[in-house]
Amino acid sequence: MMNALALLPPDEAGIAYLEIDLPGEAVNTLSASVMAELDALLHGGLQNPSIRALVVVSKKPGVFVAGADIGEIEAILNPDDAYGKSRQGQALFSRFAALPYPTIAAIDGACLGGGLEWALACAFRVATDHEKTRLGLPEATLGILPGWGGTQRLPRLIGLAQALEMILSGKPVSGAKAEEIGLVDALVPHEFMAERVREFTGRCMTRKGRARLCKRRGRHLAGRIWPVRTLILRKAGEHARRRSKGHYPAVEAILSLMESTGRGRLEQGLEREARAFSQVAATSVCRNLIGLFHIGQALKKERGTGAEVRELRTAAVLGAGVMGGGIAWLLSRHGYPVRMKDIAWEAVAKGFAQAADYYGQLVKLHKLKPHEVSLHMHRISGTLDYSGFASADVVVEAVVETMPVKKAVLAEVEKAVRPDAVICTNTSALPVSGMASVLEHPERFVGLHFFNPVNRMPLVEVIAGEATSPGTVASVVALAHALKKTTVVVKDRPGFLVNRILIPYLNEAGVLLQEGVGFERIDRLVEAFGMPMGPFALADETGIDVGYKVIQELEAAFSPRLQAAPVLDRFIQAGLLGRKSGGGFYRYEGRKRMPNPEAVRLLEHIRGGDWSDGEIVDRLVLTMLNEAAMCLEEEVIGRADYLDMALVAGIGFPPFRGGLLRYADDRGLSGIVQAMEALEQQRGARFRPCGLLRRMMEEGRTFYGG
Amino acid sequence: MQSRLAIVDGIRTPFCKAGGKLKSVPADDLGAFAIRELLARTGIPPGEIDEVVFGNVAQPNHAANIARVLALKAGVPESVAAYTVHRNCASGMQAFTSAAQMIAAGDASILVVGGTESMSNIPLLYGPEMTALFQRLSKAKTFAQKAKALSAFRPGHLKPVVALEQGLTDPVCGLIMGLTAERLSREFGITREQQDRYALESHRRATRAIESGKLAEEIAPIPVPPAYAAIQQADEGPRPQQTMEDLQKLKPYFDRKTGTVTVGNASQVTDGAVAALVMSEQQARERGLRPLGYMAGYAYAALDGARMGLGPAFACARLFAQTGLGLDDFDLIELNEAFAAQVLACEHAFASSVFAQKCLGRDKALGELDPDKLNVNGGAIALGHPVGATGARLVVTLLKELRRRGLGRGLATLCVGGGQGAALVLEVE
Repeated sequence: MMNALALLPPDEAGIAYLEIDLPGEAVNTLSASVMAELDALLHGGLQNPSIRALVVVSKKPGVFVAGADIGEIEAILNPDDAYGKSRQGQALFSRFAALPYPTIAAIDGACLGGGLEWALACAFRVATDHEKTRLGLPEATLGILPGWGGTQRLPRLIGLAQALEMILSGKPVSGAKAEEIGLVDALVPHEFMAERVREFTGRCMTRKGRARLCKRRGRHLAGRIWPVRTLILRKAGEHARRRSKGHYPAVEAILSLMESTGRGRLEQGLEREARAFSQVAATSVCRNLIGLFHIGQALKKERGTGAEVRELRTAAVLGAGVMGGGIAWLLSRHGYPVRMKDIAWEAVAKGFAQAADYYGQLVKLHKLKPHEVSLHMHRISGTLDYSGFASADVVVEAVVETMPVKKAVLAEVEKAVRPDAVICTNTSALPVSGMASVLEHPERFVGLHFFNPVNRMPLVEVIAGEATSPGTVASVVALAHALKKTTVVVKDRPGFLVNRILIPYLNEAGVLLQEGVGFERIDRLVEAFGMPMGPFALADETGIDVGYKVIQELEAAFSPRLQAAPVLDRFIQAGLLGRKSGGGFYRYEGRKRMPNPEAVRLLEHIRGGDWSDGEIVDRLVLTMLNEAAMCLEEEVIGRADYLDMALVAGIGFPPFRGGLLRYADDRGLSGIVQAMEALEQQRGARFRPCGLLRRMMEEGRTFYGG
Repeated sequence: MQSRLAIVDGIRTPFCKAGGKLKSVPADDLGAFAIRELLARTGIPPGEIDEVVFGNVAQPNHAANIARVLALKAGVPESVAAYTVHRNCASGMQAFTSAAQMIAAGDASILVVGGTESMSNIPLLYGPEMTALFQRLSKAKTFAQKAKALSAFRPGHLKPVVALEQGLTDPVCGLIMGLTAERLSREFGITREQQDRYALESHRRATRAIESGKLAEEIAPIPVPPAYAAIQQADEGPRPQQTMEDLQKLKPYFDRKTGTVTVGNASQVTDGAVAALVMSEQQARERGLRPLGYMAGYAYAALDGARMGLGPAFACARLFAQTGLGLDDFDLIELNEAFAAQVLACEHAFASSVFAQKCLGRDKALGELDPDKLNVNGGAIALGHPVGATGARLVVTLLKELRRRGLGRGLATLCVGGGQGAALVLEVE
């Protein structure tokens, strides 16, 4: 077997190089076997007395060490196992840190997780200015925490505040930023890395050079002084809890670990780190987040078909409304020239303004500079006629959601584009195959459902109509990937996938409201379940009238199981449409929301609804689950894990639960079917578990286990 | 010219008053917008362009070789070269004639040409004293040296140099352009009233051209940053309600005591850009294109900078000598309205055999400029004069009008600050 680590004999100056290069892999990871190799080297080659300095360097372009082997984290069985593995890695790095000569991590490319923890165990670090050079500890995003000394060595090096930010957010920093915050001792040019690292190593080999380098590092007194330390911890905690809402144990574990350690003896801190790691590593949250990570990776490669992808380079958008302008923004943001057509200049202006608004938000967040915005905006051009459409490889139609208009526009646009241009319709509800009937070449026509707002919703549904060619699907999926969207290919059934599952849930919330359950209570319970916002807060955001219209449309397809809750109509009649009308269920003052007195008055006369919390949550969640199972049954989507990812990305289904079907597996299908049968008896036939659920229960199958 | 230059199509931004609707669009962005729209409307694959040639006068500091900057912003591939041309007010024409030369030399066959100017964005500069102070300050190392450098400061140093004004002043004869027009008004006896009457007619004609939708045919509506919430569709300069009385109320601007030239009878300071797709006539034929028109000849000529407004007469004399054409051979004429006095002076000069003999070295007068053929859709007095773009606008405007009227040949000519003139022969079919 080839080795991942190669220790080159020291040169005449006594500098040895430890090269990392996992055979047959695209990236370097610290698998158990690599760790074993390092262990052997620590006992053997690294003890060579003629080594006067050691440079750790990767032979792979674009990556130093990308982290631990994620499969091995998943394989952790229980807290004891986790504790052992953490202690083992810590011990290895501690022995590395104790080597009698200076050690230098020469970082060019991704240096993440375990990779950064190893670099932290080196005496010095050098990073390149290459754009692929990123240093970070992303463990928290997988529901765990750095368990090989990262939580201990990082705050000692860069101070408590910066360390908390890096560990809690999991966001990596660039080489330049790493140098700025003291995470690395020098920034070197990527192209001249070898020479500059050699020169840097020379400095590390003299006492004076080392002293100067160490003096450069801050002392980070702020994190050591008690009142300041408390303040830093409290601020970081508030910030992190706002996002985790208590559902992510790793956040709490990191906060309390770093509160109680980071000063004093390293060994004591390491032991506590291993204990904290053991508490989170074997949890379902960790397993679920890693599971979603894998699904995301699989989806990135998924094209829905095996057909060849044709690269689409230029685009046109029909309709310059909120969606059209948003789609033009998205395309221009990722380098595509976009021609945007509407029927009046005033309308075209709205599309431009929408795009400029989304860019403005990015400038505010310091993610783009104003001159970059100007360059991106230049890619969008407006028109009233079809000029420029002949250059478009892909056209996205985003006009109003009514069938006759869509059909008329599509028939017209087909005459204006090249025969090989792909035509997409952005629709949330209308049947794609129905629209295709007006086209001469329906094989190049496909549904492309962006969610509103386009700049914040990560999901896209690609809907293959009956006549859509596999090549069209594959090319549009590749385009959606290039636009950095999570993409699922779904069948042309009413509501497609996400709305089909979301809408019955929203409607059931309406039914509960009708029965007398307060909307605040429902929202509170749903948010406690982990959804980013409750059904009524969501309705306020999207517009109660918009939601009700979609409910009615789907009612036609799914009645009697779905019957629009009339109480929602009462809100529309009263002009309470949600945020856009100044208030719906809630009134809004900045970030704060409070019950809208008008909404409360509208519901005053309703009595009853003293159902238990459990029943309320079940009625909402199991409604979704039943519909999701039916989607699988009807093959609206091919795989359970893709469905779960679509709901996480599309409606914010809580990631810590790993997805709706994963939740069902965890809770147990027999219990779920029982609960549904009970609801069926008490509350109506709509809760009757679908055939697939019954069959799976009878056969003892699970969604993830086959 | 050995063979004609095919002008496939041309498009421009609305022309807006400096400090007006387009004030937040720098010259490179104006030009980039015009090119992107041109590419969309002509459908030419940008990769097939051989070169981008653009005229610009003020040459903004942030966009050296502005042609390259605006080409890239317009989505022209980075493999397509670009250069900027500068012949003052003729820069936009220079782009066309440079393209013709490149094609004739076999250096290129398809080019995007045009001109752009954002007179809103011409900066105010520090004067020499303040500049020297900053230089001393940046060299000063010790506190004492810095204090000494600063002690030389006087509030008067803050008086800015208006680069726009400086740019419009001929550094050799020392006259600002308006004063060269005053000279012509005296030399040819052109009264204030004649000038104002001419200016009024320019507004009337431009207004008519807007109302009939003619100008909209050459304008691409432009979204207005930074909010992009509005789209500017039309030129901002023409005043439908302009009256003679109002024009007569204005004070002379350049020679306040004895002058006749006012802001009302001079061209407006304006932002705008024009872009056109050009290629050899043969290339256009091979592609099966029906070009908007052709450039069949051109001439530049030079004269005393203090009389620069007569440039068209000098350039036309040369053009006629080269081509054998006479004024009667042209169905329509665009003679840029830098100043009403200057256009009227040209009318006199064109018609005068004395002038022809004395100044143009020819026996006979160039001919009478027929008001019914001249600037039929108004000119820079109403529409504005974004200096680097105007020359290109005359080409596009003239060709579109020839086509509308089913006529064959037009003359586009203008005067150039510093003492030059330019004249182009334009043909349809």
